[in-house]
Amino acid sequence: MLDLKDLENRSIYIVREAYAEFKRPAVLWSVGKDSTTMLWLCRKAFFGKVPFPVIHIDTGYKFKQMYEFRDRIAAEWGLDLRVARNEQAQKEGVSPQTGKMECCTRLKTEALRSFVEENDFDALILAIRRDEHGIRAKERYFSPRDENFKWDYKDQPLEMWDQFQGLVTQGTHMRVHPILHWRELDVWEYIKAEGIPVNPMYFARNGKRYRSLGCEPCTAPIDSNAATIDGIVEELRNTKIAERSGRAQDKENAFTMQKLRALGYM
Amino acid sequence: MNVNVVIVGHIDHGKSTLIGRLLYDSETLPEGRMAEVQKLIEEYKKRFEFAYFLDSYEEELKEERTIDTTRILFKGKNYYTVVDVPGHRQFIKNMLSGASHAQVGILVVSAPNGVEEQTKRHSFLLHMLGIRQIVVAVNKMDLMDYAEDAFKKVSRDTLQLLSSLGYRDVRSVPVSALEGDNVYKRSQKMEWYQGPTLIEVLDEIQPEEVTEKHLRFVVQDNYTVDSQNVVVGRVESGRLRRGDRMIFQPSGVTATIGSIMVFPGEVNEAGAGDAVGVLAGAELPRGNVGGHLDSPPIPTDVFLGEVVLLEGSLKQGDEYEIKCGTRRTKGTVKQIRERISSETGEVLGHNVDAIGENEAATIVFATEPLVVEKFSEIPELGRFVLVRSGKNVGAGVVLDTHA
Repeated sequence: MLDLKDLENRSIYIVREAYAEFKRPAVLWSVGKDSTTMLWLCRKAFFGKVPFPVIHIDTGYKFKQMYEFRDRIAAEWGLDLRVARNEQAQKEGVSPQTGKMECCTRLKTEALRSFVEENDFDALILAIRRDEHGIRAKERYFSPRDENFKWDYKDQPLEMWDQFQGLVTQGTHMRVHPILHWRELDVWEYIKAEGIPVNPMYFARNGKRYRSLGCEPCTAPIDSNAATIDGIVEELRNTKIAERSGRAQDKENAFTMQKLRALGYM
Repeated sequence: MNVNVVIVGHIDHGKSTLIGRLLYDSETLPEGRMAEVQKLIEEYKKRFEFAYFLDSYEEELKEERTIDTTRILFKGKNYYTVVDVPGHRQFIKNMLSGASHAQVGILVVSAPNGVEEQTKRHSFLLHMLGIRQIVVAVNKMDLMDYAEDAFKKVSRDTLQLLSSLGYRDVRSVPVSALEGDNVYKRSQKMEWYQGPTLIEVLDEIQPEEVTEKHLRFVVQDNYTVDSQNVVVGRVESGRLRRGDRMIFQPSGVTATIGSIMVFPGEVNEAGAGDAVGVLAGAELPRGNVGGHLDSPPIPTDVFLGEVVLLEGSLKQGDEYEIKCGTRRTKGTVKQIRERISSETGEVLGHNVDAIGENEAATIVFATEPLVVEKFSEIPELGRFVLVRSGKNVGAGVVLDTHA
């Protein structure tokens, strides 16, 4: 097991670097386990209070339990919760049936993009991890996005020894990834050690549980009997199934994630 | 124990293939990954390569080369975070980004090709980064009919190269990443080799002995918590205890540490790596470095560094921002003492006017007051990056804290 204290220390250091370097940061909260852990780390970094806005991108396709969990935690932790939606695309009826790449891009990436532009955020803190997906394994801790929200993945900054490149020019923003080095198992071990609240959908009922949470039409549960955090930790120690196996947008084409992310997807 | 391993070497010597093989044989690959790769190679009309488990850019698959660094995890006796880096000269920036946190380097050298340009450059850069443990994997033994002579020759050349950089007692393992010989499983085709397999070498790695160093605490920021000023930062070395008398430089402020805060409580002491808040009775600007009064950090306005330049050229008189710890200061290139080939480590000239991209140099920098330490003593404050127009364009280590 990776040392949880080392993981936590490094992530808190990175969050504090971002807060010191950028004028208008915000943190993204998908209401899943990783970004909830991220919020927990922010609370620890800033002694109990998250000092910047918490953005939830609402595609309108999230599970009912996710909205309930979101509102309960936001109230308990006193979060400055902001909900971002692409109302236009939702009105037009954009859905996974009309194409997953388009759906993710319009309901998530574009919703986020307009929201970032309206609020002039210069840094977005995100809870992506290298071990989730090959394309995320290529990421930097501080990863710039240009005026068009694009990721220039072929020319990423030099990033050595926690010396992050903090350059943002007008209209661009930085993606900050404080838990990039955590593994799925580490997240659960940490949730267990710290008693972080998580959405009950992660726990097995009738032989099924959600391992990764996204939009309802594109997220499938896995076969599992892990009904407790201990059960999940035990399951992950032995599993050979990929974490995002239940996430449809990764599967459509081998390079869908790369293309989505190049356009500014998370 | 978690061990960070970086795999380096010349392009096409088989770095990604080696990691792909490690993943495959250690059964670390998630279910269905093999099928995904199979589908991919049919679609792109490629032959199967173990490297495809790692190279996840479409361009990497099409061009059959690694462009950016990737990290993957697998388990042997230790937990390994394995960093794959590109072997092409054009991507040294990505190679260094991947290698900077490594504790161990595996230098992959192709048996049919022997030592080549990036074999040398990567060795030099690992040496400069202070990575002390290196293992040589002489790869593609299958193409040499698993002949002992072929291994011996390449092994000798590589060990000689490493020895010139100061590496002693380096292990060299004959492998075929493609066929799986001596990577995770012992080869049946090289009975002349009695040494350990690559995974056995990795599993034997012992944690480096930690010697207790002087306390250095870098200040990141100041927050107001319950109407008190909390100085937040990280212990880079040594130990910080409640009640310690400290001095912070370059501000020159002395303070007694009232509390060490780790939400939701307090701790009595903190060690290297800990990100904490302290009550110091004063606000301390970001970039300050704290230490004990009897072993204080000393600010300097001139120091000697060894630098590798990754973008543009660097001339005498040029101004950069120097970032060390959390401090960012203006720095001027006062003197370029030696221009060094990043390929061979050879000194190419003394007191030169300029160096070019991907070259190295020993440089005297004149700076605003800045706390630096010798890289050999406190590495955390003995390394820095050069910033120009907001971009990290070079990296260096401190050879001396004065000129």
